[in-house]
Amino acid sequence: MLSEFGQIFVFMIIAVILIAFIYVVVRFIAPHKPSRQKSDVYECGEETEGETWIRFNIRFYVIALIFIIFDVEIIFLFPWAVVFREIGFIAYAEMAIFLLILIVGLIYAIAKGDVQWDKPEPVIPKLERQLFSAKPDINKKDNQY
Amino acid sequence: MIDIQYFLILSAVLFSIGVIGVLVRRNAIVIFMCIELMLNSVNLSLITFSSFFSNYYGQIFVFFIMTVAAAEAAVGLAIIISIYRNKESINVDEINILKW
Amino acid sequence: MQNLILYSLSNFIPETILVVTIIVCIIADLIIRKKSFAVTFVAIVGLVLSFVFVVKQWGLSMSIFSGMLAIDNYAVFFKLLFIISTLFILLFVETSKEMKTASHKNEHVYLILSLTTGAYLMASSVNLIMMYISLEMVSLTSYILAGYLKKDKRSTEAAIKYIIYGAASSGIMLYGMTLIYGYTATMNINEIFLYLSKNPITDTPVLLASVIMISAGFGYKISSVPFHFWTPDVYEGAPIPITAFLAVTSSAAGFSVLVRFFLVGFANTEIITAVKWQEVIIVFSIASMIIGNFVAVWQTSLKRLLAYSSIAQSGYILLGLAVVNSAGLFAVILYLSAYLFMNLGAFYVTILIHNKLGTDNMDEMDGLGYRSPFIGVTMAVFMFSLAGIPATVGFIGKFYIFSALINTNSPNLTWLAVVGLLNSVVSLFFYVKVLKHMFLNKPEKPLPELDYGYANILITLLLAVPTILFGLYFTPLLRLAENSIKIFGLN
Repeated sequence: MLSEFGQIFVFMIIAVILIAFIYVVVRFIAPHKPSRQKSDVYECGEETEGETWIRFNIRFYVIALIFIIFDVEIIFLFPWAVVFREIGFIAYAEMAIFLLILIVGLIYAIAKGDVQWDKPEPVIPKLERQLFSAKPDINKKDNQY
Repeated sequence: MIDIQYFLILSAVLFSIGVIGVLVRRNAIVIFMCIELMLNSVNLSLITFSSFFSNYYGQIFVFFIMTVAAAEAAVGLAIIISIYRNKESINVDEINILKW
Repeated sequence: MQNLILYSLSNFIPETILVVTIIVCIIADLIIRKKSFAVTFVAIVGLVLSFVFVVKQWGLSMSIFSGMLAIDNYAVFFKLLFIISTLFILLFVETSKEMKTASHKNEHVYLILSLTTGAYLMASSVNLIMMYISLEMVSLTSYILAGYLKKDKRSTEAAIKYIIYGAASSGIMLYGMTLIYGYTATMNINEIFLYLSKNPITDTPVLLASVIMISAGFGYKISSVPFHFWTPDVYEGAPIPITAFLAVTSSAAGFSVLVRFFLVGFANTEIITAVKWQEVIIVFSIASMIIGNFVAVWQTSLKRLLAYSSIAQSGYILLGLAVVNSAGLFAVILYLSAYLFMNLGAFYVTILIHNKLGTDNMDEMDGLGYRSPFIGVTMAVFMFSLAGIPATVGFIGKFYIFSALINTNSPNLTWLAVVGLLNSVVSLFFYVKVLKHMFLNKPEKPLPELDYGYANILITLLLAVPTILFGLYFTPLLRLAENSIKIFGLN
């Protein structure tokens, strides 16, 4: 009789054979007519644009950080849900306090502007005093050279 | 029933891969991924022991390790962002102002 | 069940007060939206309230939250130490120029308070789960604090070095905890002790490996060799008030949990002979003393010198743990309370110097003792105390550690006391080097005198006076230490 690992081994062998079989069959049956459009990158039917290795906005990163924290803290709800009925009201109160603390954290993140997607207006550095008053202003329209 | 040794060996191997990764890799983000690997190998062996002894200490510990790992990753990535803004690099060999 | 939780909560008031204070500080910071002393004031009020409730816990002996935390005199002693050092650090931050350059406004207040809360939990945890969580709570906040000046390259570099070392060593510690759990099927250190003392110990390599791995996590917190690599860099890069906080609170918290782990879980002659953790601790402490003292001699930065000095100090404190009897533990407690005043004082004088000179390089401090006699004299007090010169509190700590080493017979540890004494002689050399720069080296051109405000002088005196006073009249410290260690039941 097979041991438990033997059964897993048989299962693996069958899986490998099946996939190899499918590949071989496809090789013989399927038509093979490559074209430029077929071998293009698939982007939901749109024409692809630009490089693959572009730089992502740093805001994705910050939001991902905030998401990770709030997402993982929810893990504590599962063991709590198991014992909730046994312990009763005090368990409810404890979890309420826990979530309240999390909400304070969320409010903090919002108030500090970390989840805000719109960029604040960039402050363009301005020169306070005129360095050379004799020099003509090149930005002016009527000063054409 | 699969023997407990197999899980423990897998966990030890994962842990060693994590430690070696921390020691030889030079990219700060990859180092953090290796540390996560170490923590996850610990989780695996804790769950193994927990089901072997059929007590719940191990499983409770796993919950906490997961949350702490997430918090650590968040703080670590935030620090990596700030060092990238200052130095334009996250290669740990180039983080070398402070020595001896 | 409900009653148990309510009973536990009623003995959890000091921590609860701190957590509430943290939340109030966060909300206050959001409302005020600019740098303000009000947030710090709220924090100080919270700490004082917590102090009152901690003092009320003196004399209790119980375990709460189904064996997660213990309330006893040992924990109370450490909590008092943490409160005092946190209060000082909050004042340090207010008077430090370096912290004013930060782009954050009041964030440091609640980060510091969270670190204190974590340290509270570390001091009273008796379960491996709780030890890990509280240690991580301290670590995570200290990573953020080390990188607090986020525009400053050195500060961010300190933070990233700290977090890489910290995360890796806490991972190693976790694996060690798993091994112990696999061996004993429990995570409560009292139950671990029961298991180990009732059953014959068969797999000693596993236990030894797990003990070494666990000391990697704790040893990184107390910055003992060979887990010290982060210490000099982080101490130099982080803002000085934060460095002082890490050097005192964070390492005292590390000692509190290390001592409890070993002396509750493994303090039994059979376990010691089987697991040999005493030898491990001795090796760590000798290595810390030698590397700390000898490398410190070549430092030119005062912060780096203090970093190596604190590596060496943790070596001395580990000597007290290596004795494994009540005299050694008594000396550890005594040394930590001495360490609080003298180390905080040394760092505060460094802050004052940095405020005026903008550097902590010792070559720039030539003649500083004449430019500001007050700074020179107080620095001398703290340096002599760190070196262990008589009539300072540092001498008391060192004296009790060495006498504990000499008085023990099983095994004979007198040679260890000799090693410690020789190291103290070396340490005297570099502590005096600081004073030599201040008093004997003449600056190239005469420099103006420096004068400090009353607030600065008052804070320095609050640290300098106990350093000398407890060095001369140390009965209160002895009584405190004696009462703190009763729960361990060592001989």
